[in-house]
Amino acid sequence: MMRSPGLACSVLRMALWAFTLASLCGLAYGQALQAIPPLSARIIDTTATLKTEQVQAIEARLRAFEVARGTQIVVLMVPTTAPEDIADFTQRVGDAWKIGRRDIGDGLLLIVARNDRTLRIAPAKALEGAIPDLAARQVIDRTIVPRFREGDFAGGIDAGLSRLMALIAGEALPEPRGAGGTARFASDWTDALVLLLVAIPVIARRLANWFGRKLACLLTGLGAGVLTWAAGAGVILILLSVPLAVLWGLIATMAVWRVHPGRQHGSWGNPNGRSGTWSEGGFRSGGGGNFGGGGASGRW
Amino acid sequence: MSLARSLRAVPIFMVALLSLLLGGCGYNDFQRLDEQTKAAWSEVLNQYQRRADLVPNLVATVKGEASFEQETLTRVVEARARATAIQVTPETLNDPQALQRFQEAQGSLGSALSRLLVVSESYPTLKSNQGFQDLRVQIEGTENRITVARNRYIQAVQQYNTLARSFPSNLTALALNYSIKPNLSVNNEAQLSQPPAVDFQKK
Repeated sequence: MMRSPGLACSVLRMALWAFTLASLCGLAYGQALQAIPPLSARIIDTTATLKTEQVQAIEARLRAFEVARGTQIVVLMVPTTAPEDIADFTQRVGDAWKIGRRDIGDGLLLIVARNDRTLRIAPAKALEGAIPDLAARQVIDRTIVPRFREGDFAGGIDAGLSRLMALIAGEALPEPRGAGGTARFASDWTDALVLLLVAIPVIARRLANWFGRKLACLLTGLGAGVLTWAAGAGVILILLSVPLAVLWGLIATMAVWRVHPGRQHGSWGNPNGRSGTWSEGGFRSGGGGNFGGGGASGRW
Repeated sequence: MSLARSLRAVPIFMVALLSLLLGGCGYNDFQRLDEQTKAAWSEVLNQYQRRADLVPNLVATVKGEASFEQETLTRVVEARARATAIQVTPETLNDPQALQRFQEAQGSLGSALSRLLVVSESYPTLKSNQGFQDLRVQIEGTENRITVARNRYIQAVQQYNTLARSFPSNLTALALNYSIKPNLSVNNEAQLSQPPAVDFQKK
């Protein structure tokens, strides 16, 4: 935003006022809503009800489903949602996490409030066709609630997920992008940048050990060109990527930068480093899920 | 000659300056947020429409219950007729009175519906009627979607109004006559401030 320099003073004053007002409003607004846990895994149990191996089994299932179908499903188990009801809490969680692929938005939340004895299934808008409110309600009433009543939380969640996955599988959603990595470069500029900044020097240095510095940089440049071509980029981009990679390789293999050769080797050891959304340990939201209030709640 | 040429360049320069100023004073932001509020409003209407579409089915199902409270039923039918009679296009959205009427109509349909759902609890045949229970789930889901859509509209209007009132974009609003948009409100504020009367004596 461009602003006339003469106004800078008043703008600053306005900003100060706005800040004061905002902090005052913040004080008034700060009711004790339940905090939303950070999105660290596909199943988050803050009540410690589920056993570790049960959590691992469900996590593995959800990961396998995401790899196969692309849809992100997250199960959250909390003690209570008070003072909100579970629908409002779920909405806040959905707005905060936005699970679902970025350009498709296929996310699904299953939230259980153990002490409230309520649960909710909330599909993002992209999945409202696959899981209409009625279907969600039936999964809750017929599949999950009977098991929850017997205290079998893991079994209820697992059986419910089976039904939900079957419903999602019936929907014609786009296939997940190949796990090979190259397909992602075309759309994901951050990946391309990471490749440029990290992978090129590492590769160039490794090659420099075998072929000598100049040849290694040329090879790296050619490799970068081939990769860009494989990613389906235009001619200009391909032509641009080769000299850039050569240059960056030359800089990276300069004597000054070779003080700690061992450090980079360590970080290259992880073959999953470039896999994008789902690396082995962590889990990242696709950021595309738009939760419009669909789904159903139930109690047991 | 060169003076004439530089004089000719003045309008071009002025246009460039004006477009820069307009961009800087939030002209584009006004357009973006205006579109955003319209889209959010369309979603609100969309969900209200979905509710209005579900009501006839619900009424038909409840009519099958011979002994059902006729007064509750007619209130729903009348409220739906009133709610669907008031159409609010994005153009009339800037009219606070029209918005108020629309909100009142939709609000009375909402309360008539919830009354019907509460009353239906005391009819065992309705409670075990699968069609009725399915409609009930759909209406609950729609009410929830209405809440979310209204919430998003309120936020969109808030962003627009903040831009229209804060400096220096308020000058743009003044120059181009962009007024503040009326926002949604709770229409039974007085009723909500009363504590609910709980009566355990009945039944």
